[in-house]
Amino acid sequence: MTEANNMANKLLINDLDVLKHHIAKFYSVVQIQKDVNGQELWTEQLGDKLDPLFGHNHLPLTSPKGFLFAEKEVLYKFDGETFETILPRVHPKVLFGVQACDLSAIAYQDKFFEHDPYYQKRREHILLVGIDCESPCANGFCVQVDAGPHVKDNTADLVLSRLSVDETNEFSEWLVIAQTEKGINSIKGMMLDKADNKHLKRRRELFEKVRSEFVDYSYISNAIEYLNDNSVPAQLWEELSVRCMGCSGCTNLCPTCSCYSTYEVVEKKTVTPASISNEVKLEVTHSETIRCWDSCLFEGFQKEASGHNPSQKAAQRVERFWFHKFSDEYLPEFQRYGCVGCGRCEQTCPGSIGVHSVMKRIDQQCCN
Amino acid sequence: MSTTQVNSICPFCGVGCGIALVASDNNIIAVQPLSKHPVSQGKLCAKGWNTPFGISRHGRLTQPLMKVDGKFKVVSWQHALSHIAKSLKQFIKESGPQSVGLISSARATNEDNYAAQKFARAVLKTNNIDHCARICHSPTVAGLKKTLGSGAMTNSIDDVGKADVILVIGADPTENHAIIGGQIMKAKLSGAKLIVVDPRQTRLAKVADMHLQLKIGTNIALLNGLLNIIFDHGWQNDDFIKRRCEGYDALKAHVADYTVEKVSKITGIKGADLVKTAKLYSQANAAFLAYGMGITQFVSGTNNVIAVSNLALVCGQIGREGTGINPLRGQNNVQGACDMGCLPNVYPDYQSAIDKQVREKFSHAWQTEVALLPGLTSLGMSHQARHGNFRGLLIFGEDPVVTDPDRNKVAQGMRAMDLLVVIELSMTETAKMADIVLPAASFAEKQGTFTNCERRVQLIHKAVAPPGEAKIDWQILSELANKMGMSELMNWQTSEQVFDEMCQLTDSFSSMSYPRLKQNNGLQWPCNKEFPDGSRCLHTTTFPIGKGKLIPVEYELTDEIPSTDYPYWFTTMRLHFHYGCGSMTRKSPLLERETPIGLLFIHPQDALDLGLKNHQGVTVSSRRGCVETRIEISHQVSPGLLSMPYHFKEAPSNFLTNDAMDPITEMPELKVCAVNIIPLPENQTPRSSVLSDVGRSYD
Repeated sequence: MTEANNMANKLLINDLDVLKHHIAKFYSVVQIQKDVNGQELWTEQLGDKLDPLFGHNHLPLTSPKGFLFAEKEVLYKFDGETFETILPRVHPKVLFGVQACDLSAIAYQDKFFEHDPYYQKRREHILLVGIDCESPCANGFCVQVDAGPHVKDNTADLVLSRLSVDETNEFSEWLVIAQTEKGINSIKGMMLDKADNKHLKRRRELFEKVRSEFVDYSYISNAIEYLNDNSVPAQLWEELSVRCMGCSGCTNLCPTCSCYSTYEVVEKKTVTPASISNEVKLEVTHSETIRCWDSCLFEGFQKEASGHNPSQKAAQRVERFWFHKFSDEYLPEFQRYGCVGCGRCEQTCPGSIGVHSVMKRIDQQCCN
Repeated sequence: MSTTQVNSICPFCGVGCGIALVASDNNIIAVQPLSKHPVSQGKLCAKGWNTPFGISRHGRLTQPLMKVDGKFKVVSWQHALSHIAKSLKQFIKESGPQSVGLISSARATNEDNYAAQKFARAVLKTNNIDHCARICHSPTVAGLKKTLGSGAMTNSIDDVGKADVILVIGADPTENHAIIGGQIMKAKLSGAKLIVVDPRQTRLAKVADMHLQLKIGTNIALLNGLLNIIFDHGWQNDDFIKRRCEGYDALKAHVADYTVEKVSKITGIKGADLVKTAKLYSQANAAFLAYGMGITQFVSGTNNVIAVSNLALVCGQIGREGTGINPLRGQNNVQGACDMGCLPNVYPDYQSAIDKQVREKFSHAWQTEVALLPGLTSLGMSHQARHGNFRGLLIFGEDPVVTDPDRNKVAQGMRAMDLLVVIELSMTETAKMADIVLPAASFAEKQGTFTNCERRVQLIHKAVAPPGEAKIDWQILSELANKMGMSELMNWQTSEQVFDEMCQLTDSFSSMSYPRLKQNNGLQWPCNKEFPDGSRCLHTTTFPIGKGKLIPVEYELTDEIPSTDYPYWFTTMRLHFHYGCGSMTRKSPLLERETPIGLLFIHPQDALDLGLKNHQGVTVSSRRGCVETRIEISHQVSPGLLSMPYHFKEAPSNFLTNDAMDPITEMPELKVCAVNIIPLPENQTPRSSVLSDVGRSYD
């Protein structure tokens, strides 16, 4: 906490490339890039050769969630005799240019996976460099769920905020705030000017300006109240859930979703142990237990061995998802809602029941 | 451990969603949706999201296998291909080119399919080339060719959003073409009127403005009835009919017989609903008509398609935005497999195989004689095999033992062949029965093109290397041609070379090239001099045959109807979470977990009458065979109608299905037959029908 208040850790830079190249000496660079089709994605693929993309215009459909909570990973192996935990092999990576919403989500997942060795192994090798957004994005409403548009305190190692840009000279002035010890270490050795209070003031002004540009989606704030009031009629969930096709797009793309399942990949191997005899062939079972992302919208998600299913109906599952995203009941544990207002579910849902569609409908139904 | 990302097209259904494949350490570890893709716009269905499981290296065939003394042995490619070449040459010498053939894969690329029909016609000198469109949309290809001159979806997928009326007949798009299904639901939310015609209460039927839950097999009665109502009220589009159709008088006279009372009785639909539907569809500014297996998979399949076409033409709901006759092609590249001429009667771009000029054109281009005699369909090959006249078959990426009708006959046909070669990703039921199994590369392991249902030809890119010694279909055929002494014929080094060769020999693809496909996010054929940037909407000013033909068709009974011995109607359907024979989707633990406990869907009243508890085991039997499974009580079906999905090899619904055929296309009547149910003792587990590893079933 004191780090953040210490002016020694608030610096200025004109060229982000210089910063990136410095960090790249110790961290492999993961950043938002455009592929050959103009599709944006978080990728380590191109290294640090290209300029980073950032901001409201470049929120990729997939968040950097997968770099921490892996979409698939081996948890442990069995070789016929013993079980062996397989922790991920990692190298230091910097996620360069993460938007405020995704950083809030990572902070949320840090809490959920606090005791998860696999998540934490990856996490401790990651440097988070956040960037303040300068404008609202297409489906975003981070303001209404306290997840942006500027990077929230204590969600990144370094925070970058563009204070000014002079188009003619391509000259930008960036505020660099080192919020953690890891952050401070990452810029050690760089000769950067110190920022002063007028720079911090400028950042605050920009924050107010960006915030005011957001549409106030009143239906979202209203619907959050109705959800917490339990005033959403069951019939509405029935109506909405007919359109849930169980595609799992929402849970895959949601940066705070953390549910997973495990499965075994079993192989029978025939071995001829020399210690016994060449004629003896033993069949040894090798297996890997793998964790993969799951989705609470699947009917089978909560199905029990007997066939009984507490969330048999789609209406129950859809209601549960929104409860997890907007219920006050999670505040004590996570200090924030599950939803960070990124709007990805709205884009990806083929049934038109993403966050905007659902909250609009709830507001419509309940404000009678 | 860094990852690479490559853009591709989803390998499941005919929607053709953009999908990014994320690879690490030569494995596909994840997929991502593509927000900029014109069709999918950042969406995927559960099958698409589970693609990595479907093609994972676990369970993949990696080496050629040959059956020796009833067991599969690993052999070299050299050995396997030499053996195949030798056998095929022998069969051709002894029994003629009619005794050999190919089934190509509707899930492989255009390049693979072009190579397959070239191999058949130029190397084997046979027209015995077919694929699963036979049992899917062959009536569409034949029917619409008759009425319009072209058998493909007339409009584009996004025309759904431009329609004020959407009519879905015999299709379940939210489950099988989920992204299109979602767009239909979205259009409904935006004010479009939705009418669903289906004997089952599908998800779309639940949200529709009208669900006409007709008695199974009564499509023509319904469609003719609608036409009669339209003519009675003067709701037809006189201007369109005058300018663009012929056969009006004959059709009008013919449907006069289909009175509301008569049709209501046959279909079970209330007269008022028939009138309402006729009015909505005919009076719409733009009405989008989509249909599927519920129209095609009947002995009257071709006629059913013609009846659909009649309706659209009479109402002028074609040739404009938001309208069209839109068959929902099932597989990711079944449109392509048809376009590439993997059909016994046509070359690529539907050029007739019995036309002398066409034969000369291809013969000249390929520098060799081509097949002369008309070819056999897939069912024809099976039939001839059972009679000892068909000896050697290569099947690419298809599992007829699970997916073709009348399983016992299919298996009999396979066993009767002297040589059965199956080229596959994994050991399917059909592969188990083969003499030789060859490992194939999946869509993520090769470059090529797929054509989706809206005629959009799209590039797929290689993300990882094929596992072990697996090869691409066209590579295998190229090497086999070499072994048969015709190496110059199929000497391609890249898939692009195959594509370019094909484009030169067709009109519809003549302005396509890989660079242009890349630039434009795919191109919709026809893409030629006249339409260099492809075609969104067909038949805007004229039909390929000039004026559209209105052809009177008669309602006829299905081949089988319930009787004392077999008192229930039986139909086949698909579940959302599985695809085809399940060989890919059932590798996903998440999708497999969605499989219902019971696979025989039965109405609560029927279950009650039989004294059955939900999930109880039963034997279902038809005149052709029987299967044991559990029941699943459901309101989707109506009393007297049972339905089963066909994805599950432990309870193959195709033991029951009827292969009685549509005379024009040899489409089997997969959608309807008659069955009986006998309950199993209360705690008895249904017996699985899965074959042993070498293709034997145990009784």
